[in-house]
Amino acid sequence: MQIREIRLRNAKGLHARVAARVVKVAGRFRSRVVITVGERRANARSIMAVLMLAAAMGATVRLETEGPDEQAAIEAMVAVLAAAGDRA
Amino acid sequence: MVTFALHGVGVSGGIAIGRAQLVSHATLEVAHYVVPASRVDHEIARLELAIDEVQKELTELHGTMTRSGDLPGEFGAFLDVHWMILNDPTLSEAPKRIITEQRCNAEWALTQQMNVLIDQFEQIEDSYLRERKADVVQVVERVLKRLMGKPGSLPTSVAEERTILVAHDLSPADVIQFKQHHFAAFLTDVGGVTSHTAIVARSLAVPAVVATHNARQMIHDGEMLIVDGTNHVVIVNPDRSVLSEYRLKQSELDLERQKLKRLRGKPAETIDGHRVELHANIELPGDLAQVLESGANGVGLFRSEFLFLNRAGLPTEDEQFEAYRAVAAGLAGKPVTIRTFDLGADKQKAELDGLARVAPNPALGLRAVRFCLAEPKLFLTQLRAILRASHYGKVRLLIPMLASVAEIDATLAMIDQAKESLRERGEPFDEGIEVGGMIEVPAAVLAIGGFLAKLDFLSIGTNDLIQYTLAVDRSDEAVSHLYDPLHPAIIKLIALAIAGANRAKVPIAVCGEMAGEMTLTRVLLGLGLRNFSMHPAQVPTVKQRVLTSDVSAIRPVVERMKRTDSPAKLAALLDKLNA
Repeated sequence: MQIREIRLRNAKGLHARVAARVVKVAGRFRSRVVITVGERRANARSIMAVLMLAAAMGATVRLETEGPDEQAAIEAMVAVLAAAGDRA
Repeated sequence: MVTFALHGVGVSGGIAIGRAQLVSHATLEVAHYVVPASRVDHEIARLELAIDEVQKELTELHGTMTRSGDLPGEFGAFLDVHWMILNDPTLSEAPKRIITEQRCNAEWALTQQMNVLIDQFEQIEDSYLRERKADVVQVVERVLKRLMGKPGSLPTSVAEERTILVAHDLSPADVIQFKQHHFAAFLTDVGGVTSHTAIVARSLAVPAVVATHNARQMIHDGEMLIVDGTNHVVIVNPDRSVLSEYRLKQSELDLERQKLKRLRGKPAETIDGHRVELHANIELPGDLAQVLESGANGVGLFRSEFLFLNRAGLPTEDEQFEAYRAVAAGLAGKPVTIRTFDLGADKQKAELDGLARVAPNPALGLRAVRFCLAEPKLFLTQLRAILRASHYGKVRLLIPMLASVAEIDATLAMIDQAKESLRERGEPFDEGIEVGGMIEVPAAVLAIGGFLAKLDFLSIGTNDLIQYTLAVDRSDEAVSHLYDPLHPAIIKLIALAIAGANRAKVPIAVCGEMAGEMTLTRVLLGLGLRNFSMHPAQVPTVKQRVLTSDVSAIRPVVERMKRTDSPAKLAALLDKLNA
């Protein structure tokens, strides 16, 4: 299992556009991808779960990937979340 | 059948006569029944089929939208989100379990699950994410309509050109579909000047009345309607005499429009040979087609606030660049004047990504250029995007609401900074790009020398100039009657600005509503104005006015208008001018 923690820089946290991108990217891998904010855990392949995570501004997000391509999956997820903050 | 009238806000002018087509709120009309055990599998299959069909529909919409490319980028993102919501097990799987467990019909199961999800969304603290529940509702409604045998949200009618769409509100997906159909008019319960409905209606040039409160409940399918977008009114079940009166009005308008169309290629020149430039105001890249059709000499005001529509974050540099480039290139050499963000007081969303501030008096607060100067990152991003677009056409930069030379200096310094960073990046742009200022504050008129010395051109925004001179907020019903473009003070200020600019040989235009008002065309011509910018639909009427005007005859009358302080005398002189 790969674990990574990152701080969201995006002012809106995980807004709809970013959430959609997260779900799309997570769907490309065979590994399970879980996002945790505080005590809430969400399957990154479910838009509803990701939206409801409501990761607010500056929230620290914990990423977990587990499966055959877990290394590639975690890199891709970190990239998506990091890019989200820079695009504003 | 009883005749009655509904009042709302006309967001797109003109008259339409046709039959009502209700876009139903499917969730309100869902049947609840128990299915026999033997039919449970059948119910599940119905649900799967409906979801599958809506998925295809959304994918198709996304395709057509990408091809036509004339809607704000955020629509695409929302279609993506809708598609994903539909695919989410909480929506595609959970209702199947409800069907099995409770033996209820598919519609009922789906509505129950929707309510569960809405409850969860409502517990979210973040107001933006909480509002995403509306997306869940819109997706569920599409599936429900499929289930109930109403394909899509759009009724496919035989005689669409005579169909008037009546809805509570329209979703981005609905809006994209409307682009491909031809409705006679739109009516919605909610909405405002910047709602999806309003924007689409204007770009299709069909009448629309929004904020009718309860049109959806008062009007029945198939009822005869007259929608008068110009006068903000809807007449339901008109009797024969009202109907024939409106038919007459409508055919007069059509005839007028046909006549005006023939003026398209003709240059706007007064009888005594003064050439006048007529430009168009636009708010979306998609409005370009209408501009080209109107015969305008270019875009005199491209409002950039649309970039904030339907979105959460700030628009990126690339996204903005694409929008500006599309217009610059699409005009094929004709100029486009892009106004930097006029955000702050009334026209933006209540909250701008953490940049939101509560101001005690927003019109006098941090808005337009003040807001941009206070948010240099946002401003520089936009300036870079506009500069980059200047490589693809004739682009001019317009700064809103300047009031002092210090603001001009600060803005010009920012533009230099944006240019410098593009040079470092090696991105091409027009080094000679012209920078102009809006004249919207009385102070700018009274001290216009400082503006003339530093700017390449000026543009009078009459709406704000009137608001700030008369201290009247037009959107406040209690004082809106005091808003008067013909107040002697307004005439004097406009006269002063135009005379100052003409003397210094600095081009000056009027881009506020006065420019498109044909009863005022001669006043402005007499004051020396030779550049007007207005809604594209108004270009032909104003052109016709110019063609029939003689400046040498107008000027003495306007001179008297400039001197008088009596509103009654002003009105009499105006009548004389327009006689």
